[in-house]
Amino acid sequence: MAEPDIKEELARMRAEPLLPVEKKLVGWSLALGAVLLILLIWASYSFFPAQG
Amino acid sequence: MKENRIQAPVISEDWLAVAIGGLIFLLSLAPFGGIDLLGWSASTRMWMDLGKSVAPIAKGSALPGIASLILTFAFVLALMSTGARFLGVHPVRFAGAFTLVFWISYACWVAGHYAYIAATSDKLSGFGIAWSLNLTGEAGYIIALILGLVIANFFKGFADRIREATRPEWYIKTAIVIMGAALGVKAAESLGLAQAVIFRGLCAIIEAYLIYWAAVYFVARRWFGFSREWAAPLASGISICGVSAAIATGAAIRARPVVPIMVSSLVVIFAVVELLLLPFLAQLFLHHEPMVAGAWMGLAVKTDGAAVASGAITDALIRAKALEADGIAYKEGWILMAATTTKIFIDVFIGVWAFILALIWAGVIEKRAGDKVRAIEIWQRFPKFVIGYLVTFLLLLIVCSMNPEAIPAAKIGADEANVYRQLFFVLTFFCIGVVTDFRKLWQEGIGRLAAVYVVSLFGFVIWIGLAISWIFFHGMKPPLAG
Repeated sequence: MAEPDIKEELARMRAEPLLPVEKKLVGWSLALGAVLLILLIWASYSFFPAQG
Repeated sequence: MKENRIQAPVISEDWLAVAIGGLIFLLSLAPFGGIDLLGWSASTRMWMDLGKSVAPIAKGSALPGIASLILTFAFVLALMSTGARFLGVHPVRFAGAFTLVFWISYACWVAGHYAYIAATSDKLSGFGIAWSLNLTGEAGYIIALILGLVIANFFKGFADRIREATRPEWYIKTAIVIMGAALGVKAAESLGLAQAVIFRGLCAIIEAYLIYWAAVYFVARRWFGFSREWAAPLASGISICGVSAAIATGAAIRARPVVPIMVSSLVVIFAVVELLLLPFLAQLFLHHEPMVAGAWMGLAVKTDGAAVASGAITDALIRAKALEADGIAYKEGWILMAATTTKIFIDVFIGVWAFILALIWAGVIEKRAGDKVRAIEIWQRFPKFVIGYLVTFLLLLIVCSMNPEAIPAAKIGADEANVYRQLFFVLTFFCIGVVTDFRKLWQEGIGRLAAVYVVSLFGFVIWIGLAISWIFFHGMKPPLAG
């Protein structure tokens, strides 16, 4: 396969504004990460304490 | 490059890794029946006298070291050349290239065991030397990597000559399958700690997926103006698991194949930079938190090869530092286990993540009539070598937990299989070097792609990975040796 020309490919890229649904995807992902962080820390330290 | 395929592959690299790793694992089980099938395999020792650098792994064996090494080479050559045929590669051409790759890699491995390079503080007097670089025998991995980089960037003709056998992903997957057994035995000896490592590794990667991906996607879209077709594979490549994640994401969002290919070429280059930097940073700052360091390697270093390889280096460097600075001798392998566990979970979830993205893209972002996302795609994208790792790990864990008297035999077998794990590791390091062409960074137009990579990776992926590792693994210590 011929090596793709990266300059050409990037130049061909269309400008696409960030859609509300993408903002939601990013926001939900980070929010879920924050909520789960608390839950998972609690589960880790309660049920699987560090040993060693 | 000349096309050397003789037929279409009849088996994937993943399944082949399971087959070859599984065969070595089965042979290593012989000590359970009082038989020794792999005792002739060549083990590399720390040396001042080169003649004593190689000896059979079985204690008291009369076989000369060089004979043991030639037998080991012949065994691995036969296995890999047969495997190459199933991959559709011409076995004779593969064997020629593999012979060069093997002996160059092995020479690096032996060089790394030179006492002035490798000896830890407790071994100096035994060798009659006053100092050493204290890098342990794993220095051989770094030497192999550097030599591979030199070949890739200054001896392109030679790199092409051995291209057929430069397959770091195949070698590391085989090593991971073999490694499962040794980690299973270790886990059986400290079951509570192993359970904590596994559960917390799972927690760490859930966090990494949710935070990393979203942050990199946002940066690529908002700050660097990449289109969705580029931003999604970039986010997966930089944040999750390098090449395989970029390719899976590209397929999930129906990006043109050229996009993940270009992202992957950068992933490999930056993974090498991480591999050369992070283990030494970890040794410097994290030798009091060894398990944090291991998990950090699994979370921050991209691609299976580089991540598990950096786990192996970190394991060796931190144990050496802890011994020198604090007089603490940790058991080998636990830091590597933390790195491998997080990396394996990341791999397992690639399919799930790609499936979620496919649902969002097909159903919401780029609605396409008749574009159905099937759950079977999760299985299709599942890294099959993980099955081999899980089987060898769980089998030894269960057998040794239920029957502690079997542990000594299991350890003999695990030590013998470890010869091949180390061998595949050093092949991986050398091959990672050989496939890393830094000249790509000078390619016209790559600057914007590289910029988003550098900003994301060194701006927050590495540090968020460190924070997550710290949150879930701090205070956890490997068992003490002896």
